Amino acid sequence: MTEHVINWINAYLDGELHGRRLAQVESHLDECAECRAELASLQALSTMLREAPLPDFPPAERFAANVVLGLPRKPETSPARKALEIAWWLAPVALTAAWVFVQTTLLLSDWIGAAGRLGLLDKSASAWLVPAVPRETLLSALLLQTGLLGGSGVQWLRSVSAFFGSALAQVIWQVSIGLLYLAWIASWWARLGRRGYGQPLAAGSRPQVK
Amino acid sequence: MASPSTLHETELVILAQRGDRNAFGELVQRHSRGVLGVAYRLCGESQLAEDAAQETFLRAWLNLSGFHPQTSLRNWLYRIAVNAVTDMLRKDRRLAPQDVDEMDLTDPRPGPESRVARDEGSALVTRAVLSLPEASRAALVLKEYEGLSYQEIAGLLDIPLGTVMSRLNYARKRLKEILQPQLSIYAEVEND
Repeated sequence: MTEHVINWINAYLDGELHGRRLAQVESHLDECAECRAELASLQALSTMLREAPLPDFPPAERFAANVVLGLPRKPETSPARKALEIAWWLAPVALTAAWVFVQTTLLLSDWIGAAGRLGLLDKSASAWLVPAVPRETLLSALLLQTGLLGGSGVQWLRSVSAFFGSALAQVIWQVSIGLLYLAWIASWWARLGRRGYGQPLAAGSRPQVK
Repeated sequence: MASPSTLHETELVILAQRGDRNAFGELVQRHSRGVLGVAYRLCGESQLAEDAAQETFLRAWLNLSGFHPQTSLRNWLYRIAVNAVTDMLRKDRRLAPQDVDEMDLTDPRPGPESRVARDEGSALVTRAVLSLPEASRAALVLKEYEGLSYQEIAGLLDIPLGTVMSRLNYARKRLKEILQPQLSIYAEVEND
């Protein structure tokens, strides 16, 4: 006779055995009275357990009505989702603040520069405001010294650097901010739609409470 | 808009996640029997089971945003119910199931047909189940009364499949020991 399958009888009873293991248990049960008795006692136990009745609970509709009455106003949002929503609202605000800061700095810088050129600022203030040597100046000096570029080449490089450093940067900044805002407004609109704002509940959707 | 009772469960979950209380009420109606049953089998007291079931649905409502509508709502609710009952039993030790040695395991022999004997038999079964350790009891209740698969029980209780098997084996072995006299009578009646 094959080895007893007592340890697998529970899984066999629960229909959790498959393939070779199932075949092994079934063939053993055919020839082993001890394991068959174990299976029968487990089946009797299972029937006995299932026959123990439940008490009389309130009807499902009444129970559901009681539960709904005791619910707080809205389902709570998980902390991670809350953080995401705060970040969602803060992202455009932070971008706008950064943009305003950069624009103001540039504007002030232009005004102060103009005031300095007109002699409206004293020397100490001008000295304080004089910017460090621009990068393109250092680069062109280096190119001139090493002989990689001539005078006209350096002039061209300065124009290109000035263009990329001011006009193009401004365009990129503003287009990026504009696109970000459009994307944000579009997804905000989509979120409102998903939440179902503006779609009142049909009267028939009220639960029937007795 | 369609009535909640005609909607599919996934649609109801999505509506409830957006704050629709009617949709959530419909879900409660659909699952109240199962949740009450699990709670009662785990604690053995109808009032406590009702409180635990209410607590289960409240917790479900509060944490609904973290639930994935594509997964099984029933299993998720059962998981919450198991935790709610465990918390309640631990909070109030007076409600904790008795030790099996303190139980009155009376013999229901005088007439298995009589209602008294049947009631005594079910009370005995309930008390025997309650005498099991929490972990084995939960696995047994989910298998025997709710018919969950081992895989589902493993996922629901956050335990490996092998542990589900060993807990079930232990629970049934222990119940057979406790209910041996009743099982013999039961077997005799069945054979007759």
